[in-house]
Amino acid sequence: MLTVWISENTARLRLVAQIAAALVALAGCGHYRTDRPPGTIQVDIETSPTSTDPRFATDATSSRINELIFDSLVKTDRNGQFVGHLADRIERPSPTEIVFHLKHGVRFSDGRELTARDVIFTYDSILAPESMSAKRAGIEELKSIDAPDDYTVVMTTAHPYAPALELATEGIVPAGTPLPSKGTAAAPIGSGPFQMVGYARDEAAQLERNPYYIYPSGAPRSILFKIVPDPTVRALELAEGVCDFSGNNIEYDVLPWLGSHRFLEVSKTPGTTYKYLSFNFRDPRLRDVRVRRAIAYAIDRNTIVNTILRGTARIATGMLSPENWAYDGNVTAYSYDPTKARQLLDQAHYAAGSNGMRGLRFEYKTTPEGARLGEVFQAMLQRVGIELTIRTLDFATYYADIQAGSFDLTSLQWVGINDPNSYCMVFDSKKTPPHGQNRGYYSNPAMDRLVEAGMSTVDPEARKKIYGQVQQLAAEELPYVSLWWVDNVAVMNRRLVGFDAYPNGSFRSLATVTLSGPGGGGEPSQ
Amino acid sequence: MAPAAAESRRSDPVINYGVRRLLALIPVALGVATLTFAIIHLVPGDPVVAMLGETAAPADIVGMRHQLGLDRPLLEQYAAYLGGLAVGDLGESISYRKPVSRLIAERFPATIELAAAGMLVAVLLAFPLGIIAGSNPGGAGDLGAMGFAIVGISIPHIYLGPLLMILFSLDLRWLPLTGRGGLEHLVLPAVTVGTALAAILARMLRQSLIRVRESDYMRTALSKGLSARAALVRHGLKNALTSVVTIIGLQMGALLSGTLITEMIFSWPGIGRLLISAIGARDYPVVEGCVLTFAITYVIVNMATDLVYAIIDPRVRIS
Repeated sequence: MLTVWISENTARLRLVAQIAAALVALAGCGHYRTDRPPGTIQVDIETSPTSTDPRFATDATSSRINELIFDSLVKTDRNGQFVGHLADRIERPSPTEIVFHLKHGVRFSDGRELTARDVIFTYDSILAPESMSAKRAGIEELKSIDAPDDYTVVMTTAHPYAPALELATEGIVPAGTPLPSKGTAAAPIGSGPFQMVGYARDEAAQLERNPYYIYPSGAPRSILFKIVPDPTVRALELAEGVCDFSGNNIEYDVLPWLGSHRFLEVSKTPGTTYKYLSFNFRDPRLRDVRVRRAIAYAIDRNTIVNTILRGTARIATGMLSPENWAYDGNVTAYSYDPTKARQLLDQAHYAAGSNGMRGLRFEYKTTPEGARLGEVFQAMLQRVGIELTIRTLDFATYYADIQAGSFDLTSLQWVGINDPNSYCMVFDSKKTPPHGQNRGYYSNPAMDRLVEAGMSTVDPEARKKIYGQVQQLAAEELPYVSLWWVDNVAVMNRRLVGFDAYPNGSFRSLATVTLSGPGGGGEPSQ
Repeated sequence: MAPAAAESRRSDPVINYGVRRLLALIPVALGVATLTFAIIHLVPGDPVVAMLGETAAPADIVGMRHQLGLDRPLLEQYAAYLGGLAVGDLGESISYRKPVSRLIAERFPATIELAAAGMLVAVLLAFPLGIIAGSNPGGAGDLGAMGFAIVGISIPHIYLGPLLMILFSLDLRWLPLTGRGGLEHLVLPAVTVGTALAAILARMLRQSLIRVRESDYMRTALSKGLSARAALVRHGLKNALTSVVTIIGLQMGALLSGTLITEMIFSWPGIGRLLISAIGARDYPVVEGCVLTFAITYVIVNMATDLVYAIIDPRVRIS
């Protein structure tokens, strides 16, 4: 019977067998291989760099990639101090003048030597009105930039400007590099360890070594920055071994799981990214310092760090982290104390009703990624009688609202703080949007005087004292509730050896790591 | 002879129908373009600030806004947009600095590939499941197939995608995790996109088959001595298919919207990913162009569905 059925259905069975064979073939008859060219490492990033030209890039992703391609006159060390990079020697003959003596023999990836002419060209092209570069505003203090010879650059500022070395952090491009515009496809070249050889927005950026750059034996020959927007997929790519490195973009919940893979290393190092809760001072209730302090006392930051953040942060005392030269941690602290919070609210005449609530209702604006933290704040503030409603918006809408001052409370973070002059940008009453980032419209003449003095005082010791006062005043006045400094959490394949984490989350170490095992890096150059 | 042939073509009801439906695209496109333009311009968010960053000088923000024509009155911008559309110009992307039509042309094949593969997966899963379920309602096959349908409809793409990745990429290492490449790259995204549709189609086919089984012509076929299976295959299935084909066309919108999430999960370089990225950057021309492309695709697919409907159901005539 079976034989008859088979003979009658031979053609059909053959078709089924062919389909099955095709499916097995599709499955690869075994494991799918994820080999890469030797010496290549893959780094997963969450968003595309907005610009491959250092004269225009202002976002963190662009800056971190551009650091590997372009050199600047100075760079920051791990304490946020500026040190020479292209500059061999730096002199400050007067409070308005800085002289940079350039290293000899530095070459762009096309072999041309980098000279003062390239530096002047880079700055001139940023400052040209037609560039419309977002960086123009950042270097507006620069009065002039000159090159007395091929290896000397002189910067002059309009006024004594203490953070003047910040002006010297722009990546240098070769003289004659056109402004990015319609049809300009190729990324500019630099004198850094890598050059960009391919870029497809929303997909990947491919970097290869600058042949004229000295690099250690075994260092990667190329880096593929792959844009992977989904955090779960970034974790899966690490676990599969496709991705070699992911920095500060893996969800805390999956870190233990990733750490359980023997070939992966989860590294946690102190970071400078500062997370804070911001108030809108145009709301009269929030102008009352007792209300702000009550909110600070009501938030149990230790519990949040130890549970939600899985210990990957340090409780912050202010914007500057302990690694910064101007850090002063001896300021008013607000450890979790709901009783004190209730007392302060009573003193501010917000008495608790029969249900414990005080008629204080604020709107907390956030993005979908920040909603979870908002819910925690909501629960904690409810304990002291403050009602928080959470409004979750897509990032562009949220950002527009925050800039417009349309919020009561919000939580954001500052990334890459080096010079304490950042206090001026966020707390000076003249720096409200669009002139600065004082989005909460905080205004205090004492703070204005201090941050302006900090900006114009060139002597480091005197400046440190001023910023000590700024930190104390900010802790007392609470224009921000300091939450925590986010640790740098890097998950990397153990074949990457010698990764040296920078507090600001820089990718600079990727140029000097070495690759162990088969498919390692290349021979040293020169 | 030639004029007669031309006359014949002109009078062909299918061609007439196609031309009419294509002409109907114009008001649809106009409506979609207007709505998209209004919505994206009304929601808060500034493409220039997104592009230049918050630290840009106010003068540069004003200058860039002027350069992009964003400082013109909204009605003037709308008129310019429609004027461009009339000559097939979708404008230039604010963030990519490329013509929108070029961006869409670069990415649309990837989305169509994913949608078509998703549809194929849906049909390949739905037909056997629907037939098994509809042939013996209440039986074990029916319960199993409908169990799959419930799970398939319930599980969102954002969850199913990573689940498939964990199983087939991480554990079994059969298929790559992300990206677009050979056929092996297409399997997981296609299954992610197609599963929900497969579940819907399987349920539809089951219902249609149950209804068809109770019809007079099926009883006649059985009384003529045909086996239940032969009657179902020869007479029942074709009749049951008409409603399923309609659903396939209608679900094209869901399939295309499913590709949005799936493209993000699988780093698939399609138009959905472009659209999501453009919404975040408030890249108005790209958002408008992508939505318009989706709408036109949807209309064209439904037109094709109507034509197929007429082919498989002799009672339906295009006129």
